Order: sequence, then structure tokens, then C-alpha cells
Amino acid sequence: MALSEIRFHTPKNLAEALEVLGELKEARIVAGGTDLYVDIKQGLIEARDIISLHKIEELKGIEKKDKKIRIGAMVTAQDIISSSIISQNITALADAAQSVASYQIRSMATIGGNLSSAVPSADLPPVLITAEATVELRCTESSREVSLSEFFRGPRETVCKTEELLTFIFVPFPPPNTGISYQKFALREANALAVASVASRLTLKDGKIDRAAIVLGAVGPTPVEALKTSEFLSGKEPSYSLFKEASLMAKEEGKPISDIRGSVWYRKELIQILTVRALNLALFRAQGKSKRME
Amino acid sequence: MEKDKGNYRIAVLKVNGEEHSVAVKDGETLLDVLRDKLGLTGTKKGCNLGVCGACTVLVDGEPKNSCLLLASSCEGAEITTIEGIEQEGKLHPLQRAFIDQGAVQCGFCTPGAILSAVALIKCNPDPSEQEIKEALSGNLCRCTGYTRIIEAVKEWKKYIKTKETQSLPDDLSEYHSVGKSLPRVDAAAKVTGQAKFTADYYFKNMLYGKILHSPIPHGRIKKIDTRKAEALPGVRLVLTGKNVPEITYGVSPARYDEHVLAKERVRQVGDEVAAVIAVDEETAEKALGLINVEYEELPAVFNPMEALKKGAPQLHERYRNNINTHVNHHFGDIEKGFKEADYIREEEFVGSHVYQNPLEPHASIAYWENGGSNLVLYSSTQVPHYVHYMVARVLDIPLGKIRIIRPPVGGGFGGKAGTTPLDLITSIASKMTGRPVKMVYSREEMFLYGRGRHKQYMKFKIGVKKDGRITAVQSKIYLDGGAYTSFGIITAYYAGAMIPTLYHIPNYRYEGFRIMTNKPACGAMRGNGTPQPRFAFESLLNMIADDLEIDPIEIRLRNAMDPDTRTCNDLDVRSCEFKATLKEVAKKSGWTEKYGKLPPGKGIGIGCGGFVSGAGYAIYRGQVQRSSEKKPETFLKKSVFPHANAIVKISEDGEAAVLLIQAAEIGQGALTVLSQMCAEALGISLHKVRIRAEDSDISPLDLGAYSSRTTLMGGNAVVQASRDVLKKLLVAASKIWNCDHKELEARDDQVFHKKDKSKRIGWSEAARKYFNEHGPLVGTGWYKPPEGLGGDYKGAAVGTSPAYSFGSSVCECSVDLETGKVRIEKFTDYHDCGTPVNPQAVHGQVEGAVVMGTGETIMEEVMYDEKGKILNPNLHDYLLMTAKDSPEIFSGIVKSYEPEGPYGAKEVGEGATLPVLAAVAHAIANATGVWIKELPITPEKILKALKKKKSSSSS
Repeated sequence: MALSEIRFHTPKNLAEALEVLGELKEARIVAGGTDLYVDIKQGLIEARDIISLHKIEELKGIEKKDKKIRIGAMVTAQDIISSSIISQNITALADAAQSVASYQIRSMATIGGNLSSAVPSADLPPVLITAEATVELRCTESSREVSLSEFFRGPRETVCKTEELLTFIFVPFPPPNTGISYQKFALREANALAVASVASRLTLKDGKIDRAAIVLGAVGPTPVEALKTSEFLSGKEPSYSLFKEASLMAKEEGKPISDIRGSVWYRKELIQILTVRALNLALFRAQGKSKRME
Repeated sequence: MEKDKGNYRIAVLKVNGEEHSVAVKDGETLLDVLRDKLGLTGTKKGCNLGVCGACTVLVDGEPKNSCLLLASSCEGAEITTIEGIEQEGKLHPLQRAFIDQGAVQCGFCTPGAILSAVALIKCNPDPSEQEIKEALSGNLCRCTGYTRIIEAVKEWKKYIKTKETQSLPDDLSEYHSVGKSLPRVDAAAKVTGQAKFTADYYFKNMLYGKILHSPIPHGRIKKIDTRKAEALPGVRLVLTGKNVPEITYGVSPARYDEHVLAKERVRQVGDEVAAVIAVDEETAEKALGLINVEYEELPAVFNPMEALKKGAPQLHERYRNNINTHVNHHFGDIEKGFKEADYIREEEFVGSHVYQNPLEPHASIAYWENGGSNLVLYSSTQVPHYVHYMVARVLDIPLGKIRIIRPPVGGGFGGKAGTTPLDLITSIASKMTGRPVKMVYSREEMFLYGRGRHKQYMKFKIGVKKDGRITAVQSKIYLDGGAYTSFGIITAYYAGAMIPTLYHIPNYRYEGFRIMTNKPACGAMRGNGTPQPRFAFESLLNMIADDLEIDPIEIRLRNAMDPDTRTCNDLDVRSCEFKATLKEVAKKSGWTEKYGKLPPGKGIGIGCGGFVSGAGYAIYRGQVQRSSEKKPETFLKKSVFPHANAIVKISEDGEAAVLLIQAAEIGQGALTVLSQMCAEALGISLHKVRIRAEDSDISPLDLGAYSSRTTLMGGNAVVQASRDVLKKLLVAASKIWNCDHKELEARDDQVFHKKDKSKRIGWSEAARKYFNEHGPLVGTGWYKPPEGLGGDYKGAAVGTSPAYSFGSSVCECSVDLETGKVRIEKFTDYHDCGTPVNPQAVHGQVEGAVVMGTGETIMEEVMYDEKGKILNPNLHDYLLMTAKDSPEIFSGIVKSYEPEGPYGAKEVGEGATLPVLAAVAHAIANATGVWIKELPITPEKILKALKKKKSSSSS
């Protein structure tokens, strides 16, 4: 169905949005529209009713709340980049947002959309998973909080039910001596999807890695948590050779496919390289240096 | 109202400070509403999927892609389009900066880029280069290479106070307009959104057409049922192969092999099967889905090597074994040449199948005038005359009954050098419906129509003496042609013809095969046929130089072409400053300090190339006449009719010179350089010249923008027409002082006696006096290429030209040796383009060519699945370089004078592309130690080669 034939609903607040969503179970929700409208125009998605969240002010802020950062689903990539709360506490999320498409798209694309679209190469999920983010899924009657690591079920598929709306993303403040990083490899400098990406997190304690997390992007149907690698790193003293060893493990944890952007072989090679780079940057940050991704 | 009522409602949109109440459907994009309903056509539709940025508008000050915004979601917001940034009738400083810095070429991306820049400087008035590139990274440009756009944004503050645009300092003192970097004559219209491209025209009572494309790569059409589509409310006409003319068309007369709509056979995914004409585009598209086509699928073949094999599926009965063209050229004695060689190396190379991707999609609008007897066709074409000729052929009416209008064209690069199905279907459908019909390709349809670069599978062998002097060159090339001929015969000949123009090659053999495959037809892309063989040849020469431990620039100097030389394949080179380009580029780039001395991961490389300044012969034979009236023509070694023609008409008050010539402005700056030459020849200021090139009813024939012909051929016609005017004017003026007209001169808007400067009269006063006594002051001029160009062998016409350009490029890059990723850092280029009529325009062409050529070398490629379907027919997945990918570019011009060119000028547009591919490939090889011989040189290929090298050296 052509985009021009859709019915467009613009609830003015969250309650109204949930009500409409409850009534129109087949409806699609649109935030920034940078994925959904492209898919509809290309005939990849059929939609009759579209519920737009653009008027819902409640979903547009970034604030500190109960030891967590609460990010509204309608916060754009550009909002994330310019937020001091984000840059002071979780720089890697700003790095990831900065690597999204182009300025125009970043000023439209939202965090809620980036998660809900569940495109395997999306830039924001890997960092958010390493940061142990959760999402709030709300419907008229209830709301539930789901860990982001359990949110994705497959390409363009999440646990969010048709009557549910992703409203907020909660990111716990990283504990002291924690560094999070994001490394993306794409085929051009702007407007390009990740061929592979790696987010990593290191929390240091007494000079050793207390906890580690590595999440791989664009190398599986969903973001891939490299659990074995993360476990392997825990309790060890960080070093280049350790990271190198870890990267070889991470390489095996990715489940890439071959497509026009890269082969299975190449994606695995990239995971290895990006893992070392991500861990180096995370370590750098965990040691209290606040370098933005290059 | 007969069509679906949809969900119309009234939206109040605040655009450029004014409120508009518009009836919109829920799902209508802001882009469509701005263009179709508010007439704000400065906002362009380039990709419609949020990548190209041509549709950028400001929403509450933020740049956004209006193709991804629904109009209904923009109520209450302040929307600013390009039409809204002038202040009190004065151009915005950024608009002036774009004009003055030469940031405008085709102008299609310009409004979007300016708006992105407006948003940037509002919050960051002194942006760094990096910030500018970041802000513009969502605005793709195919013409400029971004260099001058970035420069314009950097310099914007300079233009806050100046009222007029400034012209840059004099470059060639003996001339007044020629040789000066004057702002483009069409730039003001392009920075304001006033310039109307074909799709920006809307006519009353207009219908819209869409094409049904074949979903299969090869098959017979058994049955088409259009009844449901015809019954859809709003549909006015459904066309199939049954109700379009039987006659075939194409580009090369020897192989017209396309039908307006498929007759009974489809040969590629995307072949045109039917067309629907309806009250709007949406209805037409919907109706396409209601057409039922039954196909009998036939086996298909997608690889030219497979297509040659015995038993392979055959595409056309007339091209046996799928061989569309076979070239077998032998000059000198190749065996003797290799015997004389001290060193021989042979390598195989593969090019990339790239697509032109002009930012403006192809568009056509047709209607019939004078009670249906005269056709008016608006077309976004590079070659209005060939469209004219071809439409006359298919409709079988005289050319005189057709009027072709070519509005500004948003880039072509060869992709708009043929007659399109849109040209023909709109012409036929408007006749049948009696209403104007408009058709515009989507980005995906552009890919399906194709005409991109042939992928060439090349084997090159070069023999040299110990000192590097070439004794013999041999090449064998297979060109993947796709399903139809298009320009392909010419492409196959060009692949061999241009190699001997750069170096002295005593013995040369070229064998070429153009092969049919079930994919979109390939055509003539910038440098038609020559960039890939040039890449292969230059790469092999670089390998040989390294093998013999001769500096790559030195080996070129030892072989470089000299002026006034006849090449082994009988091409006549006149002016040639190739050696100067080599020496200059070596000096400027610091070649000797760098080559072989850079650390791993850093590389420097060289490539050279050049091209024709216009084809020596027209594409069709005989005179200008409808083809059905012509007898078979034998090939004559002379032009039957002039290839470029001009009329200069002076306004009755003498204050304006109106220059009429059908030259095609496609972004390259044709209108500007022709106007400059007109002003120079007349002795008046450039601002007094107005050029009218769009309308075939007004302007005389010019063959258009292909084979880099406009400056030389159009220029010669313009200069002759201007001199015709001047002579009449001076003869009349000489009566005032009773002297001979040869004693008078016109310059700086004055006519004066050469020896007695007190005898002078204003140019316009002289022209008024002329009009009083003689009526209209009009001059005409025309240009035919010299007679007898080329040799006497089969195919000798291809590659002939009045003049050749030469250029050398040095590329510097860094390669991430862990991922294979290439960063192109710097380009240094010197070009011999004869006299640069407008140096800024020359640099603009070079910069654009560098970025386009680099993209071709490292990232661009049309990819297919195993069923012949294009995998990346959009700008998300087909990668054009962005502002952030573009390198620093230095473009230099060497002193040169071409006797056959106007004021000594020759070409730059295509020639500038030719050195680029090899320079990039060489720089990468230099940085990595591995040669990648198959384009594009992707990071994956580099990494694979590095790993292979490592494992073989460790084992």
C-alpha cells in the first residue's frame, strides 16, 4: 500500500496514544519515520494506520531519575549528541548516535525508533545493551520493564506486543571505573550502515577487570552478546595481549551472514579488529580518560 | 470525483513565514505537498528515500529530509525552503558565496546543500572544515566533488556585506571574458530555486505515466490482461507493445534494437512491458499492480564469459553467440614489437559496473500543439538533438513538427545521452489522450533503465625496452553489454581507440567483444569505454616501472605523446602538453620525496589520461532528416551537416546580445563558457550576453553534451556567429569616420579606431545606429570538424576528434592495514585543456571527476542477485562518496593552446576522470604492497590480499 493511502493518527499525549494503540491493533507506530517510511515506500511493509508520536512531549526528554538516565522514546539522535547528561555519563552512546546516517536523519531519527525497528545493523542497541539498559513497554492497562538484552528477537522483531508502546529507555549510571565504547566499521564516512560494530564495557577494580561486556552489531539477526568473551575477560588484568585473545573469541561468537556489504569472513575479521579497538577505548575511559571515539 | 477520496483534510502549513491551507492526504510527504501543491519546486526529489538530501528543508531551523516527513506532521512548525532564505529581495550571503566560489554546477543538489549550510552557520558561524563536512554529509553531490561547496561555506562571511558577486582576478590578460573565472550565468537561478528542471514543470490538465517493468530477466510475454487496470477510476490509457509503433530505436543506427514497449520478449529485469497513464502518479502506480502478465520464462545469462559459451541462452537472433560487437584492430606489427622488447608483462584486470547516478532523475513531459500537429517534448536530456531525431523516427513525422525543450539538467555523465522510454511514451500517450503527459523515473527505475559503465574484463600486455620505452601493446577486452546495444558499439571501439593517444606506441593490437547479457543495457558513461582500459594500462605501466626500477613518472616522460603527432591508429594529435602535466604534478605533489619513501599504510600513486574534444563524426549518417525518408548512407570522411550552430542576435537598443545555440547545459558550465566566448568575440561585457539554449524552436542545432564537445565545437560556432555580428557592426560604424572597418576594434563595450582612440562610440550606440539603417543585427556561425579525420579501417571514426586533452593525477592515501579501509587524502591534478575559458569551471570539472572516479575505484558497483535483479538500486546501498569521503584536491592547468579550438580551448569534462582510477589503485598498492586488479578496490579485497600475502610469505 502506498504511503499516501495511510491513515495518520496523532495522539496528543501518552494516554491518548495508548488508547488509540489499544483500539487499532494492526497500526504501526511512527517516531522519526526514517525507517518506517522508507520501508513503506519500498513496499517492504504494509500499513493502513499509523500512529505518530511526534506530538507527545512526555517522550522527548533526557533526565536523571532514580540513579538512572531516563531517555524518552522520541529523543532524536541529535538530542543524544547534544545532551550533557549523556556526554558526561555515557559518551559511547553519543558516539553511536553521531555515527548514524547524516545530520538530517539524525535530527529526525529517534532512539525509540532505532530500538523498535530492530534492524541488525542499528547503531544504538549495542552500546545500550553493554550499559545494561532497560526499556519500558506500556499498554493501556499495564507497563513492564524489559532488559534490552532480551528485547530483540530477530531482524525487525522484538518482544514488544502490538498493543504495547516503547515509552522510555532507562540507562543505569555506570559504576565508577567503568568505560564504555563503540566501534563501527562502514563502507563510507557518512550515511552508511555498519558492516560490523562492537560495543564494549569494562569496569575495573584494583587494576583488574571486574566486569566486562561485549556486544556485536550487524553480525547476527539481533545484537549479539559475546558472553564467553566477556566472561573470559572478567577477573583478568587488562593488557593488549589479553584483548587480542579476547578478540579471537569474540570473532567466533558473531553469527554474521554474507550480503552486499561484506562476507561472513570479512565480518568476522572486522569483529576481531573492532573488539581490540573497542576494549582499548573502554579501558582508556575506565581509567578516567574521556576520549570521544575517533 | 472518481478516484479514491482517501483521507483528505485541510492542513495549515507555515512555509517561509506564510500560512497555507492545503488539502492533504494523511500520508502525503512534505516534499510532495511543497512541490505539487505549493509550487515550491526549489525543493528537489532525488532519491525519495532520505539519502540524497536534495529535498532538505528547515523545520524549525533544523535541516530535515522532506521526503521522509509527512505534511500532516509539520503543522505548527516553521518550514523554510530555498525560496524563503532571501532577505528583502537580496540573496542570502551563502547563496552569494555559492555563486562566487563556483559551488554550483548542475544545481540540483544546491538548494538542499545551501539549507544545510544555513542551519549550520546559524548555530556555528565559524565552522571548521570538519564541521562543514559533517553538516553537508547528508547532501550528495555528483558534480562538484564538494570542494567548492565546502569552500563557499567556509567563506560565507565575506559575502555578508558585498552586494554583487565578485569576479576573480584576471587569469589571461590578453582576453576580457575568456580565461576569467567569472560566476556562472545560471548560478543565481540555481541558488534561489528558480531554475526549473523538467520535473518542476506542471501543466494544466496534465496526466502522469508509470511503467510496468518485467520482473523476470528473460522470457516471452504470452498474455497481457490490462482490463482491470483500465477499469480503475482515474486511469486514462494503458499502453502495451500492441499499441506502440513497431519500429525499433536505439543510439547506434547499425543496431537499433529496442522497442518502446516489449513486443513479445523481455530480456532483463526492468524491461518496459506496459505503461499506465492516469490522473496522478499514485493512480498510475496502483493500476500497474492490476495488469496481469503471463510470461514463459526463458533461461537467462548474466556473465559475459558464460554468455559466450556454447549452448548459452541467446538474447537476440541477430547477435550470434551473444556477440554484439567484435573489434579486431592491429596497427604496426605486434609480433615484431614484442620481439624487440627487453621486458614484457601481462596482467588481467576487471572494471566495475558503475552507474552515473545523476542527482536529477530522468523526466519527460509531452503535449501536442496546433490541433495535435506539433509535438512539444520537455526532456532532461544531454542530447536534445538526438532525442529529436529519435522521436521523429519512432513517430515517423518530420523533425520540423517536433519542438524539443531541454530545461536545466541535473547531471548526466552519459546517463542521459540516449532517448528514454519516457521521451517516447509521453509523446505517444499525449497524442492519444490529447493531454500533457508527464513521467519521471524513480531512483530504482533509473537503475533499471541503466546505461551505466560496461564492466570490462581486460587482459593487457606491454613490451618495453630496458629504458622503459614501449615497443608493443596488446589488449583483449570483453565488455558486459547488458540486454541492448545503446552506445555499446562505440564503447567497444573506444575501449581500444584511446590507448595510443597518450604515449608513442609503435605496435598495437586490440581485440574487443561486446557481449549481451540479461541485465540493463550499458551505455556511455563519462569517458565512454576508456576509463577501465586506461586504468588497466596505467596500472600495468606502474608495475613495469617498479619491475625495471624506473620511476613511474620517468617512464611516462620517456613515452609521452608529443604535439602534432599521428598515432598508430591514425588519430591526429595537435596541441599536447602531456609532458608538462607530468612535470607539474610531480613537482606540486612532492613526488620524488614521497614515492617509495612512505611508511606502511601510506601511499602515493600516479595515473594519466585524456579524451577527445568532441567526436569527429555525428552518431547518425547523412543529413538531418526523418530516418524513413533516408536512403542507406555510406560513410563519408566528412561531416554532412554542422555539428554546432549559433545565432547571435543583438537587442534593438544594443544593450543585450542574445546567443542562440542548442548546446546542453547539464551542470558542466556550457552556458557560461559559450557566453564568455560570445562576449569576448563581440567586445562586450559578459552580463550583456543572454544565452537561450533550451528550445529547438529558438536555437539552432547543436549535437549536445557528449564526447566533451561543447567548448570546442559549440565555442567555434559561437565565435563565428559573434564575429559575423561584429563585422556587420564595424562596417556600419566605419561610415561614421569614413574609414575601413578593419581599422576599428570593439572592446569593453566600446567601438573605437585602433590608431586614433578619440574616435570612439559606445557599443550599444553603434548597434542602435545599425538597427536604424539595416534592421536586425544578427550573426550566424557553425562548426564542422575537419574533413578526413581518422584512418581507413573499420571503426576508424571512433576516437577521431579535432583535439585531445591530457592530464596527470597524483593520489595520496592512507590504508588501515587491519581492516583494509582506504582514506583518500589528497589529489594533485594537472590538465592540458588548452586555453581554460573559465578556470574556475575547469577546476570544478576536475574536482568532480576526482571524487566520481575515486568512488568508482573504491566503492561504487551495481550488484545483481543470481536472477538478474539489482541488489542495490538506491542511494542507501549504491555508495556515492559523501562530503566526508572527499579528499583535498589541487587542480592545476598547464599552459597550452589548441589551434583548432576557440581561443585555443579544448575539453576537460571527461578527460579529467581518466587519470583518477589508476592513480587511486596505484596509491593503494603503494600503501599496502598488494595490487588489486579488480574494481572496486573494497576494504574486503584489500584485507584478503594482505592476509594472502602474509600467509604466503610466512609459509
